[in-house]
Amino acid sequence: MSWETVIGLETHVQLSTKTKLFSRASTTFGANPNTNVNLVDCGLPGVLPSINKEAFYKAIRLGMAINAQINQTSIFDRKNYFYADLPKGYQITQMDLPIVLGGSIEIFLDGATKKINITRAHLEEDAGKSIHDEYDGFSAIDLNRAGTPLLEIVSEPELSSAKEAVAYMKAMHQLVTYLDVSDGNMAQGSLRCDANVSIRKNGDKELGIRTEIKNINSFKFIEKAINFEIKRQIKVLESGEKVTQETRLYDSVKDETRPMRSKEFANDYRYFPEPDLLPVIISDEEMQKIKDTFPELPRQKELRYQKEYELSAYEAQIIASSKSIANFFESAAKKTKNYALLANWLIGEISAYLNKELMEIHESKLNPDNVSALINRIDDQTISGKIAKSIFEEMCISGSSPDKIIESKGLKQITDDDAIEKIVDEVIVKNTEQVEGYKAGKDKLFGFFVGQVMKVTQGKANPQTVNKILKEKLKK
Amino acid sequence: MSIQFKSIVELRGMLDEKLISASELTQETLQLATKYQELNCFVTMNKEVATKKASGIIPSDEISSWLEGMPLAQKDLFCTKGLRTTCSSKILADFIPPYTATAVEKLEDAGAITIGKTNMDEFAMGSSNETSFFGNVHNPWKKGYVPGGSSGGSAAAVAAGIVPAATGTDTGGSIRQPAAHCGITGLKPTYGRVSRWGMIAFASSLDQAGPLARTAEDCAILLNSMSGYDLKDTTSLNSDVPDFLANINQPIDGVKIGIIKEFNLGELDSEVQARFEESKRMYEKLGAQFVEVSLPNISASVPTYYSIAPAECSSNLSRFDGVRFGHRAENADDLNDLYIKSRSEGFGDEVKRRILIGTYALSAGYYDAYYKKAQQVRRLIKNDFDHVFQSVDILMTPTSPNTAFKFGSKGTQNPVELYLEDLFTISSNLAGLPAISIPHGQVNSLPAGLQLIGNFLKEDQLLNAAHLFQKNSDFHLSQPNLEDFS
Amino acid sequence: MDQETVRTICYLARLEIDQKKSSKIQKDLETIIELIGGLQTIDTSDIEPLYNPLEMTASTHEDIVNSDNEKEKFLKNAPASNEDYFLVPRVVE
Repeated sequence: MSWETVIGLETHVQLSTKTKLFSRASTTFGANPNTNVNLVDCGLPGVLPSINKEAFYKAIRLGMAINAQINQTSIFDRKNYFYADLPKGYQITQMDLPIVLGGSIEIFLDGATKKINITRAHLEEDAGKSIHDEYDGFSAIDLNRAGTPLLEIVSEPELSSAKEAVAYMKAMHQLVTYLDVSDGNMAQGSLRCDANVSIRKNGDKELGIRTEIKNINSFKFIEKAINFEIKRQIKVLESGEKVTQETRLYDSVKDETRPMRSKEFANDYRYFPEPDLLPVIISDEEMQKIKDTFPELPRQKELRYQKEYELSAYEAQIIASSKSIANFFESAAKKTKNYALLANWLIGEISAYLNKELMEIHESKLNPDNVSALINRIDDQTISGKIAKSIFEEMCISGSSPDKIIESKGLKQITDDDAIEKIVDEVIVKNTEQVEGYKAGKDKLFGFFVGQVMKVTQGKANPQTVNKILKEKLKK
Repeated sequence: MSIQFKSIVELRGMLDEKLISASELTQETLQLATKYQELNCFVTMNKEVATKKASGIIPSDEISSWLEGMPLAQKDLFCTKGLRTTCSSKILADFIPPYTATAVEKLEDAGAITIGKTNMDEFAMGSSNETSFFGNVHNPWKKGYVPGGSSGGSAAAVAAGIVPAATGTDTGGSIRQPAAHCGITGLKPTYGRVSRWGMIAFASSLDQAGPLARTAEDCAILLNSMSGYDLKDTTSLNSDVPDFLANINQPIDGVKIGIIKEFNLGELDSEVQARFEESKRMYEKLGAQFVEVSLPNISASVPTYYSIAPAECSSNLSRFDGVRFGHRAENADDLNDLYIKSRSEGFGDEVKRRILIGTYALSAGYYDAYYKKAQQVRRLIKNDFDHVFQSVDILMTPTSPNTAFKFGSKGTQNPVELYLEDLFTISSNLAGLPAISIPHGQVNSLPAGLQLIGNFLKEDQLLNAAHLFQKNSDFHLSQPNLEDFS
Repeated sequence: MDQETVRTICYLARLEIDQKKSSKIQKDLETIIELIGGLQTIDTSDIEPLYNPLEMTASTHEDIVNSDNEKEKFLKNAPASNEDYFLVPRVVE
């Protein structure tokens, strides 16, 4: 029996506005419990929602980036249900008239691209957080998150593997960070994913019964959770049973999904238009302004980098894939002409360093001025590539400019032919045995002489010049 | 000099002429409240704060504002910071809000002194003030009779002359009907005229706050302060607030008043009809012209309202779950049990009925047939009004088909019996239009009210017509006996 | 209105009806539903529902924080809380 997987993803993107969707409390992450809560967020009697327009602008930017239809008139609806972290007993969301309809996103996997269609994206408010395990016999409710704006993006069920699902989420992550719509941090919960997974026989047109998997908070777990679920469903179907339509939680410790208790009773959400909010209209002028201030997207950057900076497709893709690296590159590229070398360093040494320290580039002590200066010093041969690496290490720690470091440590590369020739002569004189050995045919000894010259010059001699002069002097 | 039964205008005169100080006025008001506590108008008194505020008002020779030092009662549906707010419900019996409703804040900023919170139908659901957790309110005109609802406490407090005015809220007639039953004046403004921030929500698209007072003039004074755009309420109107006193004395020659054909006034109690005809003649004398108009869908108002209001309230009342405030049941097994027990213990029967009907009307499979259908009929009703207001300025009806009744004599077997009493008032809430009720005589020794309905934002026209009526009659000057209550 | 429907809407509303009152409540509900069912006879084809009497659009606010930390105030009002959280009976997911 050969099975086909069908996956649709519901992504919740927490918008990076300063205030909540329907109140003016702060949205800062990591605040002490219940300190980013005002009367409206607490759902006290008599309070009313007001509307944060910035959330709309961010949603529209995303909609434009995925070539979706934008609904300039937004209506909100109430979704009614009871849960401890839902203060009003209903969530304000968009049911019938979502702000974004349709559109598509490109995902990259194994060198190929695939277009995934989007069904819709709508604005809604987030719920608070419940902590179930800390207080004996009680669940603790923190409403800081209650009211934070979310954009829920629903994909068509067109993903066919866990790997594709991960590629989709990575593409989504890149898009939302690039557009300054969200900080896309899965671990902190600003990018969340629920996966709808079903199985059908290969070639079947009808969709199988799907389950919804919640509580996945990293790319790695997306893959694991979906793969577990696929295996589980196949097992169920192969044993002649039917898959139960249900919501399941992913347990990352046990690497399994299990049914979610509180969703056992089918809920009738009784959606109806929110009577406390009149329709919100985004004007044509506002739409134009959003278009005019639209940032360049990764794909466009890639192509531009290849043209403008003559980077290879590979280099362009890597640098463009991260907004912070791309910004850094462009700033640094204003101060150096050796784009290839700059790209090389960003992709190589700098990325390695950031990965090791688990840092973003803007969190490090590196800045475009210093890095471009370093590139220039290598380019004009003030220092060798090798010395540059040690200067780089120092830059990372102290944030000093390369020139200061070169100055204080006397690291200037020796390029003067006469100076090097003098040193080479000295080395030859001091090592007559090796000279004879080399001239007798032991070619490997060449490295020894290079090493000796480097030792005397403390590594500062220009390697190419050393090689040239040594070869000449040691002519057999 | 007794302050009982005096209007705001009269009390202002006394204060300005230094015949009485603000402190004395507040103290006497509080004493009256105590004297007539059998009426059961008040749920919570604000004695200390009111006394302190009043004593801080120093009489000066400058022209004071209308409301400076004026004692007012606030319906217990408005959140008042630091002062218990219950909506006459067990579920909020100990709730002390951390903030004040905009409408009340504006009145207090204008100098008014809140002396207490008035009793009401629980969560504003009712037309007789018989559903309060704190017991029935008596109609000052007859002990053991209802004052009307849901703003029964406010109406009784004004009718008994304890306070010159009070705030109320009107979702289906809850200001106008108790005003009529108690022989006083009550105004429901245009939807959006007064901010709903801090007004504990019953039905969001129908609720509106408004004044109850002894005269139309006093209502205008209160409305001037209560009205205005509020950023915190996106459903409040961003419209200029006129001075509602400015044109109140305008003659009404040539004003066209419509009588609604479909209300079949000929089928009402003969005395109710008689009062209505007398009022019609009064207006004709004042220069108005009467026209019969048709509002073809108006008889659908009651079923329309009773689909929409319960639906909205079933959702608005979900926040009363025992988690963050209000009554929480003891011995709950788990979270769901907590909800069920807290809410079932905390809400009265009428509230439960309405929540259940509302839940039903919104539920899958019934939404289109009940809730959506009702909102469609609502548009038809509004269209009818828009159409007739092209040919008339004001519509006139009795406020209620009947006068006050004995406790427990209506609606106990069949709730719909009481719902049908709202026939004349309900449609203006559906359409968001302003309407006023003024006393126009008695039927079987109980007050009867006359209702004027105006076009959108035309409160000034209503107040003008009401004021001229009161200038030429003395129904609004009648005072109940009150010997059964002290 | 059958028993099953009453039970379902009671659960959705998190209300339980006293055994003694349940048949009266059911009867009341049926009467009210009959009242509101009367709207079925009205022709509303092509009529847009009117959800709010104001035919206008919403105002919006700037994305600027204007609220303070009022944690103590809110937790004080709660039936059960500690110095950081609202507390409810433990929920098992």
